[in-house]
Amino acid sequence: MNDKVIHPYIDIMESLEVGYWKIVNNENFFWSSAFLENLGYTIDEVDVKLDFFINKLLEEKYKNQFKKNFNNLIKNRSNFNQQIRILHKSGDYKEYTCKTNDGFSLSVKKNSNFIFFIKKRPETHEKLRHSNFYYGETAKMTRTGSWYIDFIQQKSYWDNESKRLLGYSEDYTPSLNESYKYYAPEYHNLATKLFNDCSRGIPFKTEIKMMTASNREFWVKAVGKPIYNETNEVVGIRGVFHDIDEQKQKEITLQHTSNIISSQNSRLLSFAHIVSHNLRSHTSNLELIVRLINSSETNSEKLELIDSIKDISKSLNTTIEHLNEVVTIQTQANHKKEEVNFFIVLNQVKKSISNIIKKNNVTINTDFSLVESIYYVPAYLESILLNLLTNAIKYKHDNRDPIINIKTYLVDKKVFLEFQDNGSGIDMNKFGNKIFGMYKTFHYNTDAVGMGLFLVKNHIQSLNGDITVKSKVNVGTTFKIQF
Amino acid sequence: MACIIDDDNIYVNLIKKIIKTKALCDNLVIFNDGKQSIDYFEALLENLEHDRIPDIIFLDLNMPVMDGWQFLEHFTKIKNKFGKVITLYVVSSSIYPEDINRAKSLETVEDYLVKPVIISDLAKLFGKTI
Repeated sequence: MNDKVIHPYIDIMESLEVGYWKIVNNENFFWSSAFLENLGYTIDEVDVKLDFFINKLLEEKYKNQFKKNFNNLIKNRSNFNQQIRILHKSGDYKEYTCKTNDGFSLSVKKNSNFIFFIKKRPETHEKLRHSNFYYGETAKMTRTGSWYIDFIQQKSYWDNESKRLLGYSEDYTPSLNESYKYYAPEYHNLATKLFNDCSRGIPFKTEIKMMTASNREFWVKAVGKPIYNETNEVVGIRGVFHDIDEQKQKEITLQHTSNIISSQNSRLLSFAHIVSHNLRSHTSNLELIVRLINSSETNSEKLELIDSIKDISKSLNTTIEHLNEVVTIQTQANHKKEEVNFFIVLNQVKKSISNIIKKNNVTINTDFSLVESIYYVPAYLESILLNLLTNAIKYKHDNRDPIINIKTYLVDKKVFLEFQDNGSGIDMNKFGNKIFGMYKTFHYNTDAVGMGLFLVKNHIQSLNGDITVKSKVNVGTTFKIQF
Repeated sequence: MACIIDDDNIYVNLIKKIIKTKALCDNLVIFNDGKQSIDYFEALLENLEHDRIPDIIFLDLNMPVMDGWQFLEHFTKIKNKFGKVITLYVVSSSIYPEDINRAKSLETVEDYLVKPVIISDLAKLFGKTI
């Protein structure tokens, strides 16, 4: 009866290639065919006896324990569960788990015992090691760290790649309360917000700047997802971050280059516009004169007209000189930069226009104490200061002597120069976007030709800087240059 | 009466000469930029003297202080207050299609003339309006 209960089970075992021994009356041995097949033997090649198994098939170091377990089973019916290694016909030892029937909750006849030999799957173990290996390699190669924040345990876990990327040792315990410190200071707020939102169930995917243990900042793409328990509460956040610093730096450089190109392009376009418009106005005058000469009846009339060709040629010349100045800037941008002292250059400029300065009773206050010199093209700095200075004097306020304040300072490692006057000012609403345009003048001075600020801006931009202006009518104008 | 708004003195002198020799009109006012002419028109509104209101305006586009476009913006607001039809031509050396189309699309602008103007055309325009 009991045998019948067991047999279907044995069938399943056999079909799963689980080998077993059946021991009846402590001496009558039966080795199942699966047991033999797993080891590569036929029934003729073995002696189905305990001694044969222990002496010929079992690996040395398991012998004593197995004998002990076996005797206990026979004498006391005490069950066991042991790892052993058995000699395969190929000459290799194979790993098995051997278990008695209680491990399968079988009830068997009093006088018989079963021992099952379950092949340990080396490949499972290998597979795990393999996939771990691949995971680790992938993480390493793609520079991707994984992490988990457990809200219940109030703990934060990082994988080894996270620690490596952030420059911490493998035994480092990440801080949960101070987790913002793994991000660049300007991203603390964003990081805090992302994690707070995520703890309320909103996943995130963003580009953010992190900071290593040695305070090196680098860009990552970070993804975080809330983890829920059965009752749908967020119990943690799981995520990865991927080091994209190299790409991001390239992207930033590219963006910067693209900005330069687009500003150069717009200068080129305005240059083309100027060329065609300004040259055209002269040629159209010439054409008109020729027509008039042809239609005029008296010689004196003709001579008078020929005379005015002189004026046209003179103004054509001036225009070409202006255009030449602009072209020279573009080609001179590669000129050698050197250490230029603000004070010395300003003094040179002051000397060159000392007459105008004296005549207009100009006061110039300078403060170059924060940044005394700059690595720049000397001729450009001279031209910039000269143009701003003559500009400020030209457009001084009617009721007061010009006072000019010039200072330099640093913001984010960049040198700035501020140039402030108390002149008549410019109506920013009307002319704000035209101040730096070529031939744009906003005053009635006869010497206003609209070249100075155009050149200044071109000088600055050709060396990747920028200039901005603030002005108030009757109060004054402030130019801010970022070198 | 004609009005020229243009900062190019050489051009203005030539046009003056043409108008004089062809006797195209009796009176001519000249402004070097939009702002000066707008000041003139606004002063006229205070005290409408019929003789000082031009019949025809030749407006340049590229000028310092107040360019042709800004002038058109101001002028469009006040042009109906003079009790007289004022015909306005844009005369520019610009051959950009954007400039030409933009000017022609304005109701205030009668037509767009590309410099140099053709003398006989100029005479015809005067014949039409004066």
